[in-house]
Amino acid sequence: MIPDLSLFFGLLGEILGYWWIIIPATILGVVVGAIPGFSAANTIIILLPITLAMEPATGMIFMVALYTASRLGAGIPAILVNIPGTAGAAATPLDGYPMAVAGRGQQALAISFVSSVSAGLITTIAAIILIPWLSQVAFHLHSVEMIVIMLFGISLIATISAEDKIKGLIAGLFGLMIGYIGADVVYEAPRGTFGFLELYDKVPLIPALVGLFAISEAFVVIERSTILTKQGETHQQQAGWGPTFEGIRATLVHWKEVIWTSLLGLVIGVIPGAGAAIASFVAYQQSRLLSKTPELYGTGHIPGLIAPESANNGVTAGTLIPLLIIGVPGGATAAIMAVVLEYHGVNFGPDLFETEPLIAYGSFTTMLVTYVLLGLMILPLTRYFSHVMVVPTVYMVPVLIAFTLVGSFVPRAYVFDMGIAIIFGIIGYIARRTGYHVAAILIGVILGPLLEIYFLRALRISQGDLTTLFSSNIGNTLWVLLVLSLIIPGLKRYRSKTSVNKKQQRQ
Amino acid sequence: MQPDSEQKPRNILPDCIIPALALVFTVYYLTTITEVPWISQASAIVVSGLLLLSILAFVIRSAWRIRQHQETLQIEGTLRVLLGEGPLVGKRIALLILAIAYVWFIDSLGFTLITFIFVFSSIILLSSRDNWKTALKVSLSCSVIGYFVFIYLFKTRFPSGFIEHWLKGVL
Repeated sequence: MIPDLSLFFGLLGEILGYWWIIIPATILGVVVGAIPGFSAANTIIILLPITLAMEPATGMIFMVALYTASRLGAGIPAILVNIPGTAGAAATPLDGYPMAVAGRGQQALAISFVSSVSAGLITTIAAIILIPWLSQVAFHLHSVEMIVIMLFGISLIATISAEDKIKGLIAGLFGLMIGYIGADVVYEAPRGTFGFLELYDKVPLIPALVGLFAISEAFVVIERSTILTKQGETHQQQAGWGPTFEGIRATLVHWKEVIWTSLLGLVIGVIPGAGAAIASFVAYQQSRLLSKTPELYGTGHIPGLIAPESANNGVTAGTLIPLLIIGVPGGATAAIMAVVLEYHGVNFGPDLFETEPLIAYGSFTTMLVTYVLLGLMILPLTRYFSHVMVVPTVYMVPVLIAFTLVGSFVPRAYVFDMGIAIIFGIIGYIARRTGYHVAAILIGVILGPLLEIYFLRALRISQGDLTTLFSSNIGNTLWVLLVLSLIIPGLKRYRSKTSVNKKQQRQ
Repeated sequence: MQPDSEQKPRNILPDCIIPALALVFTVYYLTTITEVPWISQASAIVVSGLLLLSILAFVIRSAWRIRQHQETLQIEGTLRVLLGEGPLVGKRIALLILAIAYVWFIDSLGFTLITFIFVFSSIILLSSRDNWKTALKVSLSCSVIGYFVFIYLFKTRFPSGFIEHWLKGVL
């Protein structure tokens, strides 16, 4: 299939005619993305009666606009209150929140928005140009390759726990073990469920995220009058529009970071089941690895915010490719889009780009329009969003706890999940007070089940032969890259130490 | 700055809670996979093995540091590390109890009423009784906005109580 770029851009006028559906979907997307539990997938499910009643192209435009905007919205609470709106934004607070606490929330939001919008625009156009090749990616990446990609994400545990590797490993591996709770995908044998049927389907992600980030953070910040530090409060009070422009400038300075992390997100997004969380973890880990100042990551370092935000927005265009070309959704939201389109009798495949250009090309054109709209609409709001930081904690904490707990109820409608959020909140609180990184636990909880699924599949297909892990060329190349990415930081540290020692000896 | 030898040893008992939880959970987990096929065990056994090794490394490091008088294990001061000092201790415990009560009663009282009660009582707890007017405004806004946005507009399946049933009839 050869993509028709003129058709893609030619549809711009027609898609703009759907402004009456794109604008409300975009606003709704930002809102639901920002509330943990109210993901794009859940919202589209809730609004299914409306989308099913629409024309297929109109419904698709609505869903794509909402999905695109929700990805950007998830970064807002991650930066301002250390609560990622979705798992895809779980790496955003690593550097976004320290910036906000230091009174640079407005700048951090501007960086997040510009990275997200730029990444979205780049990857949407790249997706259209590269469709013939990107649609082949999923065919070449099987369970073995996916295991290594998961390990790339998991290796971030070692990266973010640089201060105390042993504590970091304990936190991350504990998270992985928690991620292994539930029935396994091959034999359906329940493991570590404490007898709760609700845990047979794995530990639900949103309650874990709410507990580890929101609840634990709420219990920590009550000792301060606002989330901001004293210095941060002064900084925030003096802020005008300057920090927004500083944020835009800082992102544009790091344009190379935006491009390569967004393209990384696009490629990961094409792989069915991989998703934004893996993309953002891998992008953060690789960004730190390639950085000349890796020690600044986790302290409010700008590239540490750009990498996950660009990558998770790069995923958005990627997830549509397997859906439209081979009918295999790249993620949960794409799966619901598939249901809606199938209901209308739309047949997926390369022919879709000729028979239904408004759906096939139109999805990407809608994404482009939504990102432009988001850029125009949301950047001016950075100054006002950042005022959330000055709300006294006596009001913010109760509201946060109430709404995030209810947010953890939404995906499965089990009150049990709210209890899980509280248990994770207690674990997260203890971890924070005793120097264990909650993000390391969360990485384990998110990637553990995925790692196990691919591991079980690989072993099942090879009838239990462990050498299958090293049986493919792409897989072996990825193994080498993984080993290198683990060794290089150590070598860099060793070289810088020895050069410092040599300098001292000379002096 | 004081030299290392004169520094007070750091109490690492609070730091042992997460490894202890991880250890107990791992042992429990391993007891639940004894009868599943080995393929289902393999991944968990590798990870649990690495976790147990990490905990062992933590124990060895702590023991060595205790011998060097850099660290100590004391019950005294552990609660202070975990919960803070002064009125914060009571506030944190009470807030946790309120959060548990929120989850416990949401099914019977419904989202709107329990959110109002939780937010109001939490604000009073974290500030003072004199703040009741603002607490009332914030908690009422939360429950009313929450009801209209999530239940009325989004049709979210939040737990319903008598207020939701009554409002459903009225609206």
